[in-house]
Amino acid sequence: MRLALGYVPLIDAAPLIAAVEGGFAAAEGLAIDLISEPSWATLRDKLALGHLDGAHMLAPLALASALGISGPQTDLAVPLGLNLNGNAITVSRPLWAEMAPEADDLDTIARAFSRVARVRVTQNRPLTLGTVHPYSNHTYQLRMFAARGGLDLDGAARMVVIPPPWIAEALRTGQIDGFCVGSPWNSVAVAEGYGRIAALGCELAPDCPEKVLALPAYAAAASAPLVRAVRRAGRWCAAPENQRELAGLLARPGHLGTDASLVRRALAGTVVVDPDGTERHAPRFVVFGAEAERPLPAHADWILAEMERAGQITPTPALVARARAMYRTDVYDAAG
Amino acid sequence: MTEPTLTVAVIDPSRARAAILEEGLTAAGFTHVVVLPDTADLSARVAALNPDVVVIHLESPSRDILEQMSGLSRHVERPVAMFVDRSDVPMMQAAMDAGISAYVVDGLQPQRIRSILDVAILRFNAFARLQRELSEARGELADRKLIERAKGILMTARGLSEEEAYRMMRRKAMNEKRKIADIARAIVTAADLLG
Repeated sequence: MRLALGYVPLIDAAPLIAAVEGGFAAAEGLAIDLISEPSWATLRDKLALGHLDGAHMLAPLALASALGISGPQTDLAVPLGLNLNGNAITVSRPLWAEMAPEADDLDTIARAFSRVARVRVTQNRPLTLGTVHPYSNHTYQLRMFAARGGLDLDGAARMVVIPPPWIAEALRTGQIDGFCVGSPWNSVAVAEGYGRIAALGCELAPDCPEKVLALPAYAAAASAPLVRAVRRAGRWCAAPENQRELAGLLARPGHLGTDASLVRRALAGTVVVDPDGTERHAPRFVVFGAEAERPLPAHADWILAEMERAGQITPTPALVARARAMYRTDVYDAAG
Repeated sequence: MTEPTLTVAVIDPSRARAAILEEGLTAAGFTHVVVLPDTADLSARVAALNPDVVVIHLESPSRDILEQMSGLSRHVERPVAMFVDRSDVPMMQAAMDAGISAYVVDGLQPQRIRSILDVAILRFNAFARLQRELSEARGELADRKLIERAKGILMTARGLSEEEAYRMMRRKAMNEKRKIADIARAIVTAADLLG
């Protein structure tokens, strides 16, 4: 069977890329065309109109698409989670200097951030923060970061969406003061000397369901070979002994087209947070494999709660039921 | 009759394609068409222009920037939504095949956006056809140059006339069921290697 699968070039597309490049798909008799998409909106619409047979997707966007609140309403199924975590919040060096946190723990840093954000509001020049899509954990994690420092981000900062490849440049030119993005873009901003990683997604929202494999609902029943292939690939990605090879695969020009050593550090959870070389070690910085793969309806509950907090939805029992039904634990279990 | 008072923004990573669409829309009676550069500050530019319709290429990374204007609509005065006409799936498919998506302000009549999409689909498809023809023409030109070089090599090496050299390559191509340009490429490569 031949399938066209879409992805956005990020480290957490690894299970799909490895499924194809590592032969897991071929072993299931699948020929997969991997299609790199320039934006989440284009990926979502191509999936909605049948130009893609499945995709690597932001978990909240898959839910928003299924609920009809982002793009054309599309009945989707999630038979597999791709990863947990992987995001980080980076601030510009001038903002970090203004924050001047007294200690390097999350609470102190978040309080310093919230203090500056409040001052900026009183000066009528609020902070501008970048996210990758309105329906993304990135949006929610920025809100959590502010909340951790005692600040409600609504009305306290401007939120803008910026495509990840432009985000380091937007930080350099001062269009934004900080952003939340997936790997490897935080590390790129640090390596280029414009940014300071202020918080890791895995400390803000431990085991956050980040990307999922999304399929049209009608295709779920026959998706066992694909689910098996991507699941095996995800487990291969999770094995530390494969990190070097995986980093090489992902860094290729056809996929991320970036520095393999940055990718490798992200996979290992060893993140350089400051241009001065300060390192953080977070073993759960990005998690693939067994812990990430089971599509739990509890993930839908978690995302709905964040959507509600962000003012994006008002949950009703019917809406909650539809959201939970998208997570197809039955398909995952039946795939074997 | 099209609606002349609409403000239409065009966003496309290809400047040439944007210019072609701008011209097409102007010709169709849309007097206020503005091409916006595909850059990170797009959000501010769109807000300043306050368009009724945004036509954006599917390959533009800026699509997610526009999503914000619809996703967080409580923060903008004129909510923007992606245009989807569920009653006309063939047209939506044609738009996607041509690489087009559109965002419209809330409440705009589907009929008014349709004429814009029709122009965009025609223009983008024509642009794709032109590009294909151009790359074919470039390929033909390169093939002809290759054949000329191979002919020269054969003439020198075998003491043939131009006509005889060409016939020799043509016969070889026919016998091997290959294109004459492929035979020419093999001759040129071999000559390069053998000095």
